[in-house]
Amino acid sequence: MIEIENLWYVYESGFTALKGVSIRISNGEYLAIMGKNGAGKTTLAKHLNGLLKPTRGYVLIDGMDTRDYSVAQLSRKVGYVFQNPDRFLFAESVEKELMFTLKNLGFSESEIPSLITRTLNDLNLSQFRNRSPFSLSGGERRRVALAAILCANPDYIVLDEPTVGQDFYEKERLAALLERLNKKDRRAVIVISHDVEFVADHIPRTITMSDGLIVSDGPTNKVLTNQLIIERSNLKLPQISELFTLLHEKNSHIPRDIVNIEQALEAFNKLTSSRKR
Amino acid sequence: MSVFESFKYKRKDTFIHNLDPRTKLIMVIVLSAVSLMFFEIVPLLIILVINTILIAIAKSLREWYYTLKGLLYLLILVFVFNYFLVSPIFGIITVLRLLALASSFSVFFLTVHPDDLTQALIQMKIPFDYAFSLSLAIRFVPTIAQESQSIMDAQMSRGLELQKGSLIQKARNYLPILVPLIVNSIRRALQIAESLESRGFGAEEKRTYLYELKMRFSDYLVICLFLASFLLLLLDRYFLLQYLFS
Repeated sequence: MIEIENLWYVYESGFTALKGVSIRISNGEYLAIMGKNGAGKTTLAKHLNGLLKPTRGYVLIDGMDTRDYSVAQLSRKVGYVFQNPDRFLFAESVEKELMFTLKNLGFSESEIPSLITRTLNDLNLSQFRNRSPFSLSGGERRRVALAAILCANPDYIVLDEPTVGQDFYEKERLAALLERLNKKDRRAVIVISHDVEFVADHIPRTITMSDGLIVSDGPTNKVLTNQLIIERSNLKLPQISELFTLLHEKNSHIPRDIVNIEQALEAFNKLTSSRKR
Repeated sequence: MSVFESFKYKRKDTFIHNLDPRTKLIMVIVLSAVSLMFFEIVPLLIILVINTILIAIAKSLREWYYTLKGLLYLLILVFVFNYFLVSPIFGIITVLRLLALASSFSVFFLTVHPDDLTQALIQMKIPFDYAFSLSLAIRFVPTIAQESQSIMDAQMSRGLELQKGSLIQKARNYLPILVPLIVNSIRRALQIAESLESRGFGAEEKRTYLYELKMRFSDYLVICLFLASFLLLLLDRYFLLQYLFS
């Protein structure tokens, strides 16, 4: 479990990025952190693997206070995937890229090859094993960067803006991968994003932030259909929610808190069956 | 990355900021030349005091302090080497000289906007291409400093520990930071080149300029002051008045 309690963070420049944030994230949870630029999302995320240490308050990762452990120690539990893969890749081959992470984090020589093989298979990268990461396309490099974190099997995975600059199919593949990590491998997945549609379609819990504070924290269909929260976070309603808001104004039997097609179908089924009776 | 703090221009309205860049160029050349001319404690201290006063007038003491803090390890290293290899007094003097030089350059870079520097060089008849490359280079120092910090964050998240191991190991630890930094810099250079060309860079032989720098009375005054003192010191050092500083 990750426990964040009354977290404050002040940058060296004097800018206060977090002003008392408290969040609890259980094992195996899947959540999104949203909010406008400068709201403090990335600052918050950097506290999860100890890249930043609290100015006030504390962050506990499975009971470990981040102030007492190095980034390397915390990275065995919390994998942080940065937005830009080019800040990341440096090795001669994809295989060595993964080996770098595993060796740093203290995995033994005997388990490294099988971990690499499994991760590359999972991410559909096996054919690139001996290729230079610099010779790959943008989307492939992004997957290598993801593989370089996932290979260490962290219990918590933090992804900073993973959908930026990706086409629809890449996004869908990413969503399927995250869902598998979450459902099958029971990993907690924390996604920082501006992508309302992506979050609405795939992520069950949403936290929104504004000016270093948490504005809302709850089920995605409650958070992303609340006009007030949406406006404060510089977001836009998901298209389907916009439609259901309009329908709700016409007929109050139709629910408003619908954020994806699945929920919409369910609502329709309920409405038609009650009509029949 | 605090070393770079003092090389980052900040817009302020002070006497020093409002001087012409050419005046400040003469200032920094005189100050650093004098720092290199003397190898005694008192003259170097005097230069340091003058620099401090100049930076104080420019209201930039805080930024300057950050540079010195960033230079601390280098200064200690230089001091220790000279202390043991040559003599204690040699160590002190070398450190003072380094401080004086660093401060002189701080005065310049803290108070001259990169664009003004380019314009000054052009008006000093330096070809536009060269002047422009220099100003681009200066412009990207803070960007690269910031980028190396985020690369460091990313690699630390993969368990990289920079301070681990022997001296050679420590140097090798920086490889995962240097490679992405260099690759990204080359990529960015190509992008900048393309964006420059698409905006018609070099299309006309003869450029016109929106702003032109003009020297004012205060500029001439400062230049005279600095050149006169420089001449005096030169005479003292190498020709006539050998007894003034000794």
